[in-house]
Amino acid sequence: MTDATIEKRQAQSGVTITRGGELGEHVGLAGEILTVNFGPQHPSTHGVLRLVVDLDGETIRRVKPVIGYLHTGIEKQAEALRWQQVVVVTDRHDYLSPLSNNLAYALAVERLMGVQAPPRAEWLRVIMCELNRLSSHLVWLGTSSIELGAMSMFMYCLRERDQILGLNEEISGYRMHTSYIRPGGVMADATPRFWELLEGFVQAMPGHIDEYEDLLTKNPIFISRMQGIGMLSGDDAIALGATGPMLRGSGISWDLRRDRPYSAYDQFQFEVATSELGDCYGRYQLRIQEMRESVRIIRQAVDGMPGGPVNLDDRKMMPPPREELETSMEAVIHHFKLFTEGYSPPPGDVYQAVESARGEHGVYLVSDGTHKPRRVKFRSASFVNLQAVEQMALGSMIADLIAIIGTADTVLGDVDR
Amino acid sequence: MSSLEIPGGVLERGVSAGDDWIRVPREGILAALTHLQERGYRSLCFLTAVDHLATPTVQPPAERFEVVYQLRNLASGHQLRVRVPVPESDARVPSAHRIFKPANWDERETWDLFGIVFDGHPELTRILLPDDWEGHPLRRDFPVGGEPVDFSEDHELWQTAPSEA
Amino acid sequence: MGVEQLHEALGENVLTTTIGRIVGWGRANSVWPAQFGLACCAIEMMHVAGPNLDIGRFGSEAFRASPRQSDLMIVAGRVAQKMAPVLRQIYDQMPEPKWVISMGACASTGGVFNNYAIVQGVDKIVPVDVYVPGCPPRPEDLINGLMILQEKIKAQGIRPRI
Repeated sequence: MTDATIEKRQAQSGVTITRGGELGEHVGLAGEILTVNFGPQHPSTHGVLRLVVDLDGETIRRVKPVIGYLHTGIEKQAEALRWQQVVVVTDRHDYLSPLSNNLAYALAVERLMGVQAPPRAEWLRVIMCELNRLSSHLVWLGTSSIELGAMSMFMYCLRERDQILGLNEEISGYRMHTSYIRPGGVMADATPRFWELLEGFVQAMPGHIDEYEDLLTKNPIFISRMQGIGMLSGDDAIALGATGPMLRGSGISWDLRRDRPYSAYDQFQFEVATSELGDCYGRYQLRIQEMRESVRIIRQAVDGMPGGPVNLDDRKMMPPPREELETSMEAVIHHFKLFTEGYSPPPGDVYQAVESARGEHGVYLVSDGTHKPRRVKFRSASFVNLQAVEQMALGSMIADLIAIIGTADTVLGDVDR
Repeated sequence: MSSLEIPGGVLERGVSAGDDWIRVPREGILAALTHLQERGYRSLCFLTAVDHLATPTVQPPAERFEVVYQLRNLASGHQLRVRVPVPESDARVPSAHRIFKPANWDERETWDLFGIVFDGHPELTRILLPDDWEGHPLRRDFPVGGEPVDFSEDHELWQTAPSEA
Repeated sequence: MGVEQLHEALGENVLTTTIGRIVGWGRANSVWPAQFGLACCAIEMMHVAGPNLDIGRFGSEAFRASPRQSDLMIVAGRVAQKMAPVLRQIYDQMPEPKWVISMGACASTGGVFNNYAIVQGVDKIVPVDVYVPGCPPRPEDLINGLMILQEKIKAQGIRPRI
C-alpha cells in the first residue's frame, strides 16, 4: 500500500495506521473496527463469560467483559439460611476451590464467635486446602493447555485430579462439594485408608508434575504462545487489585498464607513462588512451582499431624456426638436448639481472607445478633482479576486472547456469585 | 489506629472481631480514601453495602445503608475498614473509581444489587442481573424469590418476586 | 436351488431387522453433545470425557462447540435468569433429532438455589429427556444417564418426536 493510499484511508476512517517495515512487526491496515462477540457459550472462555471485543484486523483495541450469566444470588440466599447452613452454598460459589471457600467462611464465623478450632482440625484444614489448590491448578493446566491445542495435558491432569477427588471422597464422602470445613472444626476425622491413599499420592505427585513440565516447559509451540503475551507490570497489578498468581506473576511477592497467616499455616515451611516475567509463561511457571510447594506442605502436615479432637467442644456451636443423645438430656436439648434455631454470634462484622488457588478469597460477614446473617459478602478473586484482563489484552492478537483468559484462571461462579 | 488522622473527620472508630474500622461522613470519603492510599493502603480488597433495615428483633443505626470499603496496606499487612453511613432517602455516594480502579466494577455491582448511586461513575449499569431487571435484590425488603416449598417452616420467606418467579 | 441350499449359502451373513432399529442403533451410539457446561457440573462433565471414565466408549467423545453440529445438550449447571434466553437460542439452533439431559440438581429443579436469580428447573425452558440428580452427580451418574438416553433413542427409532 502506498503512503498516499494510507493517508487517504486514514482520513476517511479516522483510524491511525502504524506502519512497520520489519518482518514480524505488526502493520495496521486502514479499516473499520469490527465488534465481535465471544460467548457466553464458547469452548474457551472457561465458563459463561461474554467478551465484546473491538478488533482492528486481528488486533484487539478493546475488550469489554459482560458478566452475570451465572449470577446465582448466593449472597441473598445466605441471608435466608442459618449460620451453619451457609457452608453449603459457599462450596458452590467458586466451584473449583470449594474447600478454600469453606475455610474462609468457617474462620470468619469462628472469629465472630470468638472461638478457635482445635489444632488437629486446623492441620486437616491445611491438608484439604492444599489438595484443593492442587486440584484447581490441575484443572487450570488441563483446560488452558487444551485451548492452546495440547490435548494430552488435559488427560494427564484429569487422571491426577480423579485421585484427589477420590481422597475427598474418602474423607468426606463427596468428591467435589464436600462442605468438609465448617465453623468449629471439620466434618469428621480422617480414616486410616485416607492416610494410605494420601501417602501414595504425595509420593507419586512430584513425578507427575515432572511429566507435565516435560510436556510443556521447553515446548517451542507452548513458549511462543505464552511468552510475551499478557504482560502485566507490578504497579498495574496492584493498582488493578489483582491477587494470587496474577500478582505474583508480576514480581510482587504477596501471599496471604505467609503474610497474614491463618489456620496453622504459620507452622509450615514453604516458598512463595513469584515470577519476574509478568507474562503468561511466567504465571505458568509459578503455578507449577505452587503445585510443588503444595505437595511439600501436605508432606509436612502428614508427618507432623497433632492428635486430639477435630471439633470444638462447645455445645452451643457444635452438635453433640450421636451416642450421647441416647443418655444425656442436655445433649438432646443442645442438638434440638442447634438444628432448629442455630447459634447467634454477637453483633459485629468481620473480614477474613484466605489464599485460594485464584488469589484472595474473602468473606465479609455482618451479624446483627440473630441466628441468620445480616450480610454475607464474598470478595472473589476472579471478579477483580477479570478487570485486569481488560488491560492485559489491549494490543494483542485475537488468538492470544485465549491464552490471556486462560492465564487469569477466572471461574465464572466466583465472578458472578 | 487511634493515632490515624483522616481529613474530613472520623465519626467513630472501633475494633470488631480483631478488625480495625472507622466511620467517616459521606462528604469526606474521597479525601479519606486518598489520604489512606498515600499512607500505604494501596489495595482495595472490596467495596460493598450493608442494609440495616429494621426487623421485629433488630433496631437499625440511624441510616439504613452503609457502604463499606476494606483497605489493606501491602507493606505492613494491616487491614482497615472504612464505613460510610448512607440514608435511604438520598442513597448517593461519590465514586471512588479514580482512586482505586477495582472500585469500578464493585460500585456497579453495589448499584445493581442495592440501588445506591455512585456519583461520577463512568458507566453505572447493571452488571450481574439482566439489563431489564426491576428492583434491587440485596435490599432486605426484596423477597428471596424462587418457588414456594410446601411444609417448610420458612415458607413465608420463599415468596415469588413481584415480577416473576 | 432348494431352500436348504439357499440357507447354507447365505449362512450367517444376512441379518434382518427393521429400519427403525438400525437407525436407532446408529443414533444412540453416536450422540454428540454440545458444550454447554455452565457451573460445577461442567467440571464433572469434563471428568466424563477424561481418561478414567471415557465417554468415547459410548461414541460421545466429540463435544462440539457449535450447536448446529450436535445432537445432545447436556445442561450442566445452574441456569441464571440472564442465561435462560441464551440457552433457548442454543437449543433452537440444534437440528432434529435432538435430546436434552438435565445434569445436576440445579438444572433439574433449581437445586440448592431457590431464589430470584436461578431458573427453577431447565424444563421450564426446554423439553428434557433424562434428569440426572446429584450436586454434582458423579461422572458415573452422568454415564448412567447417557445410557438411559441411549435406550430411549433406540426405542424412538424413526418415529418423529411428538
